[in-house]
Amino acid sequence: MAGNNLGYAPRPWSSKSIGSKLQHAIFYFLIRMRAKYVVSFLLRVVVGYYVLFRPSIRNRARHYTSRRFPELRQLGRLWTTYLLDLNLGEVLIDRAALGIIGPEFIKVDFRERENLRALVQEGKGVVLLTAHVGGWQVAMVALRFLNVPINLLVHREEGDVDRHYFEHQEGPSPFRIIDPAEPMGGMLSMIEVLKKGEVLCAMGDRVFGSGRGTVATEFIGDPIPVPFSTFKIASATGSPIAILFSHRTGPGAYELSLDRVIRVPGGLGRSPAEFAPYARAFVEALEAFVKVHPFQFFNFFDMWEKGDLPSARNQGRSMKKQGEKGDAKGQTQSDARGGTQPGGDRPNRHCR
Amino acid sequence: MLVEELNLEETDPIDIVDDEPLFGEGLGLDSLDAVELVVLVEKYFGVEIKDMDEGRIAFGSINSLAAFIEERSSVWAAAE
Repeated sequence: MAGNNLGYAPRPWSSKSIGSKLQHAIFYFLIRMRAKYVVSFLLRVVVGYYVLFRPSIRNRARHYTSRRFPELRQLGRLWTTYLLDLNLGEVLIDRAALGIIGPEFIKVDFRERENLRALVQEGKGVVLLTAHVGGWQVAMVALRFLNVPINLLVHREEGDVDRHYFEHQEGPSPFRIIDPAEPMGGMLSMIEVLKKGEVLCAMGDRVFGSGRGTVATEFIGDPIPVPFSTFKIASATGSPIAILFSHRTGPGAYELSLDRVIRVPGGLGRSPAEFAPYARAFVEALEAFVKVHPFQFFNFFDMWEKGDLPSARNQGRSMKKQGEKGDAKGQTQSDARGGTQPGGDRPNRHCR
Repeated sequence: MLVEELNLEETDPIDIVDDEPLFGEGLGLDSLDAVELVVLVEKYFGVEIKDMDEGRIAFGSINSLAAFIEERSSVWAAAE
């Protein structure tokens, strides 16, 4: 494990914005002035500039676009990078507008809210497992109806000038932040909130810390390391895991989808292989999402890098076999929209 | 119990220093082990570690874990 003062391995990703403080301030000012057409135009100019003249921006997107769009050549790849960055920019604008203008700016459609409410009412806490797709922070606004505290597992990098939407406002944060850089990776804080019946929102697509807490799982053709700590915590607390994705449907408009519910049995032990079926269920849902919303996937780093997991490919294969035999100790349920199918994944509606 | 349940294959129980930190330097446990420890302490001793503050106290070292379990067990016994 490479050294830093936290004892963590260096991360291949960064949550830091590429824009300067001044660039952010200009956008925030225009949003405050409600100059939406100017904002939209300026965003296109800025994104176009970055995509054309900053090779590092194209390189960051290439890891994903080359797998998601293998058929595309140079120009097509350039266009997809532009669309990807533009979508991210639009989500960030919405996020800032939510903070600056207020919740009335955002409209979130969430059809499965009663299913999520029922999970919370079980009283064992709920893990909302999501990913860096769509506008996850924006869509969180729609969860106020749950009337339980919502805790976000997020790491804030030092010197990041991009603000969470609630940081635009004065007063206490509507969410409690749990930082994985806390002692013991914030695990005890996560257990604590779940034991109180609260909601814990975590991202399942990025690794924080060493590769020991990951299982390799196939995602768009190659294995990626998927953190299994949330599955382990769910196993310890008995909390259901709701896989929840959001996508942007228009300016300030989002749809939140409860893709599936995973229930991890207790006593799974320490072996990463025990958690592989659950990690696979999450990645399957994520893969289905990017099939339908290819430009709302915001991981600009090499998720497929094999540095930490030299045998990732083999592990991925063996897990696939394990899944085919149906020998997972637990089960993923498809009761998000009714129609429970114990022991198997419901075909994801995004695939249809 | 720790060596067996946490699969600390290269650790002999005799080599564990009772006042050394459990996490980081010392026994070298990590965040995933913290979850496991919470489960084990509850399973073996019926003692619940409810939050970060209790975890910080309990998981300082073997000695502090033993003291925490002893204290909580006696509180339970007294309550009964």
